[in-house]
Amino acid sequence: MKKRFHWGYLGSLCASVLLAFAIGAVILAIAGFSPLKAYAAMVDGAFSNARHIGDWLEYAMVLCLTGLACVLGSRVGIFNVGGEGQLLLGAVVGCQVGVWLAGRSAWIVLPAAALAAMATGGLYALIPGWLKVKVKVNEVITTIMLNTIAASLCQYLAKGPWKNPNKNMVAATAQLDSRYWLSKLIPGSNLSTAILAAVVITFLTWYVMEKTSTGYEMKLTGQNPRFAFFSGIKTDRIVIVCMVISGAMCGLVGMFRVYGAEHLYRSSISNQYYFEGLTVAMIAGYQPVTVIFLSFFFAILKIGAQGMELTAGVPNQIYLIIQTVIIFFMAAESGVFASLRASSQRKKARADIRRKEGRDHA
Amino acid sequence: MDEIAVRFEHVSMAFPGVLANDDVTLDVRRGEVFALVGENGAGKSTLMNVLYGINTPTDGRVFIAGREVTDFSPRTAIGLGVGMVHQHFMLVPSFTVAQNIVLGREPRRGRAFFDNAAAESTTRRLVAEYGLEVDPSEPVEELSVGLQQRVEILKTLYRGAEILILDEPTAVLTPQETEELFAVIRRVVREKNMTVIIITHKLYEVLAISDRVGVMRKGQLVGVRDTSQVDEQTLASMMVGRPVLYDHLEKTGAPGDVLIQVEDLTVRDNRELTAVDGLSLSVRAGEILGIAAVEGNGQSELIEAITGMRRIEAGRVTICGRDATGLDPGAIRALGLAHVPEDRLATGVSRNGTVTDNLLAGRQREKRFNRFGLARRTSTIQRYARELYERFDIRGAGTDSAVGDLSGGNMQKVVIAREFSFDSPVLIIAQPTRGVDVGAIEFIHSQIIARRNAGCAILLCSADLDEVFRLADRIVTLYEGKITGEFTGEFSKDEIGLGMTGGRRDKEAAS
Repeated sequence: MKKRFHWGYLGSLCASVLLAFAIGAVILAIAGFSPLKAYAAMVDGAFSNARHIGDWLEYAMVLCLTGLACVLGSRVGIFNVGGEGQLLLGAVVGCQVGVWLAGRSAWIVLPAAALAAMATGGLYALIPGWLKVKVKVNEVITTIMLNTIAASLCQYLAKGPWKNPNKNMVAATAQLDSRYWLSKLIPGSNLSTAILAAVVITFLTWYVMEKTSTGYEMKLTGQNPRFAFFSGIKTDRIVIVCMVISGAMCGLVGMFRVYGAEHLYRSSISNQYYFEGLTVAMIAGYQPVTVIFLSFFFAILKIGAQGMELTAGVPNQIYLIIQTVIIFFMAAESGVFASLRASSQRKKARADIRRKEGRDHA
Repeated sequence: MDEIAVRFEHVSMAFPGVLANDDVTLDVRRGEVFALVGENGAGKSTLMNVLYGINTPTDGRVFIAGREVTDFSPRTAIGLGVGMVHQHFMLVPSFTVAQNIVLGREPRRGRAFFDNAAAESTTRRLVAEYGLEVDPSEPVEELSVGLQQRVEILKTLYRGAEILILDEPTAVLTPQETEELFAVIRRVVREKNMTVIIITHKLYEVLAISDRVGVMRKGQLVGVRDTSQVDEQTLASMMVGRPVLYDHLEKTGAPGDVLIQVEDLTVRDNRELTAVDGLSLSVRAGEILGIAAVEGNGQSELIEAITGMRRIEAGRVTICGRDATGLDPGAIRALGLAHVPEDRLATGVSRNGTVTDNLLAGRQREKRFNRFGLARRTSTIQRYARELYERFDIRGAGTDSAVGDLSGGNMQKVVIAREFSFDSPVLIIAQPTRGVDVGAIEFIHSQIIARRNAGCAILLCSADLDEVFRLADRIVTLYEGKITGEFTGEFSKDEIGLGMTGGRRDKEAAS
């Protein structure tokens, strides 16, 4: 019950990160860049000015919320791979609500847009959740396919019925009236007041999962659904509710991206951001607190890599390489260490026998 | 008689973290029935897997018929005349008896064609030679479990086995089938001078069949005795390492109101076949109703239907006078039912969860464990779990460790502790001591009787017939989803065995 800190996890995470940077350096060197300069440019890219720091925090918020949305599902044993679609739909619908309600007070428009985005994302997650619970359809497959459908649907809406009146904007919805834009916390950056809401949501998610009886029931359901059902928990309901909330969180992230940064819907609202959040959740071992910390770290890499591209001319794909290598090492680590542990135990057992026999013969 | 068939010299077998066999030295003589007993995890199966070549021992030497085994593989062991019948049969259900027996060494016609006639005549010869009656042309899936086991034995004989290892052979048999198996064993030993090593849990069987018995405890062979010189008490004490008190169960009180009522219940199994067929039964307060049935005759589905784990097709279930038909397990529990499920790993625990989490399940919403319904009272929960942990004598690495790290017996104690702690008027108990060692069985039985004496209505289902005999006040036999007999007072094993096979003796077995 008591959460003990896992030094082993931290150790392997740090080792993986260092190794990933080392391998990244080798690749940079092969490609003809100076690794030192490139990494310096990366750090510089994330922290050199206030605008970069703002972008860093905004991206950390996105990673944190999407990562927690993924954790929410995995806690009850459902793997939401469909967050990207839920996010995009939330963004486009949230945006359009702002367009429809143009002229009304921001106090009406913003909550209405947030609710609409959450409802859209939640309902879109309800489909795979319901299919999983009622007809045992694998949610990984359904959510992945629903992603494609959502992306195409949003594209259609942005090019068709909800298209921006400006002919030069090809695939974008109409822009929001500036009075609905969330205020910037750091001018010029993407960081808006949305992050304040994100802090509250993050806290609530963590609190419910770790501190309440509902969180306990979620955990039991994820560990062994049959046992949870047997012990009296309404497992079907808990799985569906968690899936819907997970989708709603993704939808809300989409709305944050629109109202805080982009001010209209277009595909740059999310460039596979949910999958990056999901990656963070996986690396964090689906532990909420770890997700929060790692979000900040991976956001540095991401924003830093963009800076690095601008100043040192290094393609920002190096970020993807480093991230992938970290995942690779984290996954390999569990296997490697497990086999090392097993062999050391075998050795110890053998030594025990020899010692014993020595005693017997003596 | 005194020729040595198998010799283990200082054999040790280490698995990561466990020393499963610890310096075992043992001789098994040719032409004897040697019983190997011990609690779960004592290392019996490991030792036999060494003999059969599945395990390569970490240390020590093994001799079969005087020849040292250097290359441990089942192929070598079979070549040296060792045959093993595993607890779970390895037969192809759609193949005939003869086809199963020759599988792997089929007689051929020409180079490429399977010679079915030769297979059947070979089988017929084996059947006649060893007196193991079975029809060679019958598909295996049509046979009773007892006959399937016979096919397994014939398979080893076909491969030239002179040393036969039987791993818990009676676990799935009715009393009659067990008797028949023992007759076969006696016959092959007497007439063919074979050596039989039998692994078992059931001590009375040891006394019934073996010439000598070896007792294992925690990987060590703690003693070898002539069977004629021991009794069940002695063996149990050797297995556990301390005296075991048997037959100390005192039943008191008289039956009260009917608390479990099942009427015309029909339930389907996972293959959508009727598993429980219009069954009715009732259990009163202060009474234990035992269900005696061979596995797969609807007892699992019956219990799952009563407890809400399985859909009910027709009929009614009433718990404590209130309709429980079609409710979910949570709602049925609220009527006053607790349930020890038959498969504790799949249903009874969350393996990755802590002992505390497992002990709490079902009570997490209680006021005393919550602060205004908003936060869990972690310290109260931990105190509660530790209290149960002590009271039910669970042994492991404490309440914060994962349940999956406990031994089978202690895992079962976690289930029993949780379910019995509800003090519910109705208890449904399936396989309470499956895979549980002698010491823990004693404890679990006394707990069950204590609940009975406190006025609880208990429905008990167990594959271990002796357990049913020992605990139940009344027994019903179940065959193909129907009740075939009801027994009270002095139970007769023969009659109950008859009820378990549908009230008629197995055709093939009798022929």
